[in-house]
Amino acid sequence: MGAECRYELSQTAYIKLALHALKHPSSPVNGLLLGPLQTPAFAADPTVVVSDAVPLSHSQIGLLPSLELALIQVEEHFGGEGVGVVGYYHANERFDDAELGSAARKIGDHIFRYFPRAAVLLLDNRKLEELVKGKGRDPVVQGLVEPRYLQVKLFAVMVSGEEELGERRAPQDVGQVLHEC
Amino acid sequence: MVGAAEEARLRRLESQVENGGGGAWEYLCLVRKLKLRRSDQVLRHGLALLNDPRARSKLGGEEWTLYEQVAIAAMDCQKLDVAKDCIATLSKQFPSSGRVGRLEAMMHEARGAWAEAERAYALLLENNPFDQITQKRRVAMAKAQGNISAAVDYLNKYLEIFMADHDAWRELAEIYVSLQMYKQAAFCYEELILAQPTVPLYHLAYAEVLYTMGGLENLQTAKKYYALTIELTGGKNTRALYGVCLCSAAISQLTKGRNKEEKEGSELQSLAVEALTKDYKKRAPAKVPLLTNMLRNMKLTS
Repeated sequence: MGAECRYELSQTAYIKLALHALKHPSSPVNGLLLGPLQTPAFAADPTVVVSDAVPLSHSQIGLLPSLELALIQVEEHFGGEGVGVVGYYHANERFDDAELGSAARKIGDHIFRYFPRAAVLLLDNRKLEELVKGKGRDPVVQGLVEPRYLQVKLFAVMVSGEEELGERRAPQDVGQVLHEC
Repeated sequence: MVGAAEEARLRRLESQVENGGGGAWEYLCLVRKLKLRRSDQVLRHGLALLNDPRARSKLGGEEWTLYEQVAIAAMDCQKLDVAKDCIATLSKQFPSSGRVGRLEAMMHEARGAWAEAERAYALLLENNPFDQITQKRRVAMAKAQGNISAAVDYLNKYLEIFMADHDAWRELAEIYVSLQMYKQAAFCYEELILAQPTVPLYHLAYAEVLYTMGGLENLQTAKKYYALTIELTGGKNTRALYGVCLCSAAISQLTKGRNKEEKEGSELQSLAVEALTKDYKKRAPAKVPLLTNMLRNMKLTS
């Protein structure tokens, strides 16, 4: 496997997932990442675009029924536009917990079965806090990719802290994630 | 766990207080009674009350309860200087009080001084070994440090003595779910259902754990508990209605090819589908086609 897989995270998706995490500071949150489903021309341009995010829940993350329902509904709702689930985001309950827990891994595996290039974004709580205080400029997520959830390098992220608080800039891709598949 | 009526009252008070309409004391009392975690709002409005000498004197003896509430909220929001002031005021008023001692230990926790907090709690428990709140703080500390197995241990020991503490059972169940120890989580919910069989939340949570465990028997039991939740909530709980549909779909997947129990659950599932459709038509008519397509895909309607 020498091909490079790129992931592009759009501003909408990034803001949504950060705001979701900020809304529930004392619980774990998770959600789905959506993007246009690959066409046969995919092999030529292996970029996975994450165009949107759908928040899932902020309690009892390990339970199946709501996850299954959400996957069915998302497929139903967005399927007509050719958009499907391309990844999953997760934020841990504890401030200093920077590991992908077993429940999150299981969900990631589940999504990986649907979409083999799925990426899991784990929010970095420390960076999120810095972002809110206006100090940090780093992306608040780390990308993790199957099969071993190796961390992925985040390149050239042009995100500015103010965007978190609702000011919309011109829609431009906020980050690019580059790694070796 | 908040009932619908109280939730409505809380939301009304919250918006009233946030928009400067007064009623802060009522709001703070409600938050305290329902044991909710609204630290941001409590800190702001509580502090405003405390800093206003006239409002404070109107509270009379309740003033000290407010100090305690604001101290805890301040610690939650990491405004440790505010918390320190409140605790200082309280300890001047109630020197050598166990309750104030507990707040001081919580301050250690808030600062991340785990060893000191542990020592303080141990001391408090020596003086009063049946202090439930301190015991539970130890569990919380273990959880905050990431030592989940110690938290589970402490919680189990606590529940051996205080078996009637429903919140503790719920916390244990949620920890087990996060560790994916579903059988143990199911056990906790069973205890809760035995103790309070008319609370729909426990039946719902139990059904979800059973569904997650999977297997034909668990799915059939889950369906029954979802049905019971629907009965207890008068058909208004959307999650339970969906749960019945999911169970039926999963069961029919598993029993494909076995003809015997075909007709058994179909009445329940068609009733659930009907109820869901009615609910969506009333509350979210734009989403009705989404619902019908979903149900069709799950092979619940033709």
